[in-house]
Amino acid sequence: MRITARQGSLRDRGTEAERMSMRLLLSLGEVYGADRLIPITSAHISGSSYKMIGDPGLEFIEDVARDGTVVVPTTVNPLGMDPERWREQGVSEEFAAKQRRIAGAYRAIGVRASFSCTPYLIGNRPSFGDHVAWAESSAACFANSVIGARTNREGGPSALAAAITGFTPNYGLHLDDGRRATTVIDVRARVRGVGFSLLGLLAGKEVGGGIPYFRNLRGTEADLKWLSASLASTGDCGMFHVERVTPEWRRARPQRLPRIVVDDRALKDVQREFTTGEEADILALGSPQLSADELREIAGLIERHRPRIPIWVFTSRFARDEAAPAAARIEALGGRVLVDTCLEVTLIENVSKTVATPSGKGAVYLPMLCGQKIVLDDIHQLLRRYAS
Amino acid sequence: MRFSGRGIAPGRGEGVGLVDSRPVSFVGGVDRESGLVVDPASDLKGETVAGRVLVFPHGKGSTVGSYVLYGLAKRGHGPVAVVNERAEAIVATGAILGGIPLVDGVPVSVLRTGDRVTVDGDAGVVDVPTLIERRVVTAILRNRGRILMVRRSQRVTTFPGAWSGVSGYIEGSESPLTRARQEIKEETGIRSARLVARGPIVMTRHHDDVFAVHPFLFDCLDRKVVLDWENEDARWILPEHLSEYPVVPRLADVVASVLGTPTPSGPAPRRPPVQGGGADAHRGSTGSRKTGGRRRSSQPGRAGTGRGEAR
Repeated sequence: MRITARQGSLRDRGTEAERMSMRLLLSLGEVYGADRLIPITSAHISGSSYKMIGDPGLEFIEDVARDGTVVVPTTVNPLGMDPERWREQGVSEEFAAKQRRIAGAYRAIGVRASFSCTPYLIGNRPSFGDHVAWAESSAACFANSVIGARTNREGGPSALAAAITGFTPNYGLHLDDGRRATTVIDVRARVRGVGFSLLGLLAGKEVGGGIPYFRNLRGTEADLKWLSASLASTGDCGMFHVERVTPEWRRARPQRLPRIVVDDRALKDVQREFTTGEEADILALGSPQLSADELREIAGLIERHRPRIPIWVFTSRFARDEAAPAAARIEALGGRVLVDTCLEVTLIENVSKTVATPSGKGAVYLPMLCGQKIVLDDIHQLLRRYAS
Repeated sequence: MRFSGRGIAPGRGEGVGLVDSRPVSFVGGVDRESGLVVDPASDLKGETVAGRVLVFPHGKGSTVGSYVLYGLAKRGHGPVAVVNERAEAIVATGAILGGIPLVDGVPVSVLRTGDRVTVDGDAGVVDVPTLIERRVVTAILRNRGRILMVRRSQRVTTFPGAWSGVSGYIEGSESPLTRARQEIKEETGIRSARLVARGPIVMTRHHDDVFAVHPFLFDCLDRKVVLDWENEDARWILPEHLSEYPVVPRLADVVASVLGTPTPSGPAPRRPPVQGGGADAHRGSTGSRKTGGRRRSSQPGRAGTGRGEAR
């Protein structure tokens, strides 16, 4: 790998955090066959929930915080609890104390205390063609596909190292060749609502580490957020194209690729496959966190169908403040609006055994990380089903 | 013996090898305070990684594994070095953060727990002084879809009675191809053999000998075989019947490597694997960088293709 004078100086004469970061980036670059390190315009770090990273992660972040500082705008993933309402979530004092230490260490490094899995909705939004280093698979997939920024699916430490040095190894999705489609997915179904999650779950399994190219699909940016999240959960997928919709579809080169047809029945099958529970204890919305618009929509929906089971809504602090009246209405109707945390990185297992959710990503991770059974369905269906 | 791999994390480490034949997860697999292996499915349960040279094919599982490796190293309970067949991000990250030398591209299946191993993460080499490298050729002769198997005589020192291709030790500085042609003449009397393909080196261990097998495929015009003292039987068999014979170690891999490669210039990247195992299996396990095996075998749907069948 070629390195510049600046990069060499960070590696040899930087602070301890800079030296460690540079060594990490150079070695990962070597592993993945990068030719050099390239500058980034932003970073997004995963590994902030104490539930996920435990004491080993806490120790590492605190070590980095001794002399590490980020040099590009950097956001970080949700915590394992709402910092103000953790008691209502059934979180223990010890967990809360350690979680606060993790949050404090990230702040000390200069990371924006956003604690969100939707950085692109809260002010960390790259431009088309920007190179960034984002962990959080759903956000990386969204950045590549919907925005046209360029990032690999980083891990927590590599995104942090990139934030501290301002560089990332140049390979994979940073290169034109790494962004070409690998499988055509011909959509012969009417996809709306939870359909985007179902389509993502199915496509992720089909393409694995490849890049799907969807034909005959229309969706808003919000729809594509759900597609990104579920696609990145069942696959190692970091990007997709939608014909005539996403910014790089013309460069995708879908000719002569293996083709898969997805019809309504295939989507129904996926829904059945991931629906492992019957009667839900809780209705949970998030993963990724809801936007301000989605909060407003949910407030309107539960006004019409008040659920008989608890409803927890995960969002960012930013979106909650932007849609404060909607958040207040959800609370007034008996729901809980939790911020700075999200569906499966928190301790939902303290209050529930079966979760009803429209999130495909939640349906993948809640069983693994929280021992939950799942009722996966559209929000309208779920509200009707659990109406009081 | 020296294994040339790829230095991933810098530094030198020396110690007694602890070898797991399967992928390792540090989350749930290794106690993060003591370094004790706690994974019930591991070959190494009850052993400690502390102070050892930890050898395994590659990492798996949660990315938190990186932090576990880091924490172990910080407490002085980490391995002194790690050797992988194919390093992935979890282990690479943990090794670098923890300052643990890591070399990959080494055929870990020839290393054993108890071997004294020296790892140089800067030079990308792994030394195991007790091992002796034996360079050998194995020529697969083919005629109208059948391949020639010879049964090793009771008078040969290694693997007597086992079925094999036409084989022999490479002497001095001679080229493997020269040796292969020579062995064909001596062991079969066949003069019409024409080189069709050569495969990447396949490594196999027998006691302290590591056989580095150079595979070749030759086409012959007829099936008349005149044996010398080294073999006591010869048969032309269909490649898919190979599994019915007691054979020398990794012969299936050697056969598959050459039957999957159409040209003498080296393995073709897109050729599907032939029955019983694919060329990918060898590229991955010999860790040869020139063939680019690591990158190809990381492609979806190709990783490990044939490997499970071949072993």
